[in-house]
Amino acid sequence: MRSNVLYSIETKSLTKSFGDETAVNDISLSVEDGEIFGFLGPNGAGKSTTIMILTTLLKPTSGQALISSFDVATNAKQVRQNIGYVQQEITVDEYLTGRENLLLQAKLNHIPKNEIDKRIDEILTLIELTDKQDKTVVTYSGGMRKRLDIAGGLLHRPKVLFLDEPTVGLDIQTRRKIWQYIKKIHDEFKMTIFLTTHYMEEADQLCDRIGIIDDGKIQVIDSPENLKKAMGNEVISIIFEEGENRDSFLSELEKIEFVNKINKDGSKLTLFASNGTEVIPKIFYISSKLNIKITSISLTQPTLDDVFISYTGHEIRDGDSKFNQKREHAKMKRLRA
Amino acid sequence: MNTLMYDTYTIFWRELKRYKKSRSGVLIRLIQPAIWIIVIGNTFSGTQPLIQSVGFQGEYIEFMTPGVIILTAIFTSIFGGVNTLWDRRYGFMNKALTSPISRSAIALGKMSAISLISALQASLIIGIALAIGVNFPNPIMIIPIMGIVILFSLGFSGISVMVAATAKSQETFWGVINFLGMPLFMISPALFPLELLPDWLAMIAKLNPVTYTILLVREMMTGVSEGGIPIIISLGVLFAFVIVMAGIASYVFTREVNRPF
Repeated sequence: MRSNVLYSIETKSLTKSFGDETAVNDISLSVEDGEIFGFLGPNGAGKSTTIMILTTLLKPTSGQALISSFDVATNAKQVRQNIGYVQQEITVDEYLTGRENLLLQAKLNHIPKNEIDKRIDEILTLIELTDKQDKTVVTYSGGMRKRLDIAGGLLHRPKVLFLDEPTVGLDIQTRRKIWQYIKKIHDEFKMTIFLTTHYMEEADQLCDRIGIIDDGKIQVIDSPENLKKAMGNEVISIIFEEGENRDSFLSELEKIEFVNKINKDGSKLTLFASNGTEVIPKIFYISSKLNIKITSISLTQPTLDDVFISYTGHEIRDGDSKFNQKREHAKMKRLRA
Repeated sequence: MNTLMYDTYTIFWRELKRYKKSRSGVLIRLIQPAIWIIVIGNTFSGTQPLIQSVGFQGEYIEFMTPGVIILTAIFTSIFGGVNTLWDRRYGFMNKALTSPISRSAIALGKMSAISLISALQASLIIGIALAIGVNFPNPIMIIPIMGIVILFSLGFSGISVMVAATAKSQETFWGVINFLGMPLFMISPALFPLELLPDWLAMIAKLNPVTYTILLVREMMTGVSEGGIPIIISLGVLFAFVIVMAGIASYVFTREVNRPF
């Protein structure tokens, strides 16, 4: 059945450990040609480490990763010929002009000499930087730098483009604009895009399929639509004042008909229910019976946030768990060594 | 091989572009060697009889100018690799490492750029020396002298690129570089003739490629051959040094950048 599907990226039980920390834990996934695949997870979940393995910067501890059926560990050179990599940090050279940056990128990626100028002109039009091409990058805004960086990654028309947190640190309007550019280049060149993000909206807007990753493990892979659909129909969020009847409140809630799942996060509850409008009155009935004060309640259609919470048990937040702190600490120590 | 040359040129081009646009340091870096020529050259002018005792007829300042030219080359090239650390920190290195160019080309491109910059600095020092009246009997010799400086700096920049690739921090880099730079300069005939060094120090100096480079430049500048080492030997040592350094630097650089930073 898989003979007529072409995969740009395939990993089999991919694992990467640093000492006794496992950053990437047994990841198996396949990304089809031309697909936009997103890795969604909090900082420290293993997204960047995975990208670094797929782009040949790190060797896997065990397992295998193939890009266009070349093994990243044993055929690194061929892999490098087939990929573009746009890093999380903006890496364009501030001292050079926009055009010089692209020229450098073209030379690094062995674009034939007689095609370089044409390709650069074409890409400058696409990212709308033609007017600024001869200005040094110091004069560019953050969004323009990012656009230039992305342009550099696809100048040589790679089969697979890796975008590591493409909009991190940009304001919301710039972020939306970058999304438009990413869609535009995907329409134009039809390459496979593998991106990582910790922004729900970004994953929702751009990706054909999403893999939710937490603590180095993939929790689920599916399209954003399916993930949301699988949540049941509606999401009820409750904030209540904690009291002695908390436990019985929770167990009563679980007994309500149509309630499929409850996530507890301190005094915040998230209920996933197939018939929210009928559930809410029942919640109020139970709370008044148990003398629990509800501060707020809302009923919404499920978002990717809810999907994330339901699979990982927590919201996406930056480095809030002890575990992440420990990992960051270990990373700092490695950098210092 | 062709690809290696093309890729080396790509990195060379990038380094020079960066250098051109961030030149603010050029003049500052000239101040120190200028002070060497002016202060040390005049302070030790009384040592002329010592210099003459080994067959050198000119003034002390003429004797030591080649030493200062090489001093400039030593420090320009041994400091030159420091941007490798920035490249690793700010992502250019990862960009280059995920492109099809070879790791050796990155090292060699950096080395050739540093070597050219070093020759530029050295030529400015020659200019300063001429301006303050140092006698230069045969100005056409500046061409082979530049050739020697380029070769020497190419080898020396290998040390810098290697240390920068191995060091994970600026502190380590500067520590190691300062530890290496000054002794290599001091244990050579840069300031005093080889013949006047104690035997054991002269022995060590003869293991130092800086020694042979200075002897070559001095002979070309002043016409006096000193130390009893034939030109062909000095040239041979210099070429061997460059080839060995290019090889070791490529190897060490490749090994180090393949490790996570």
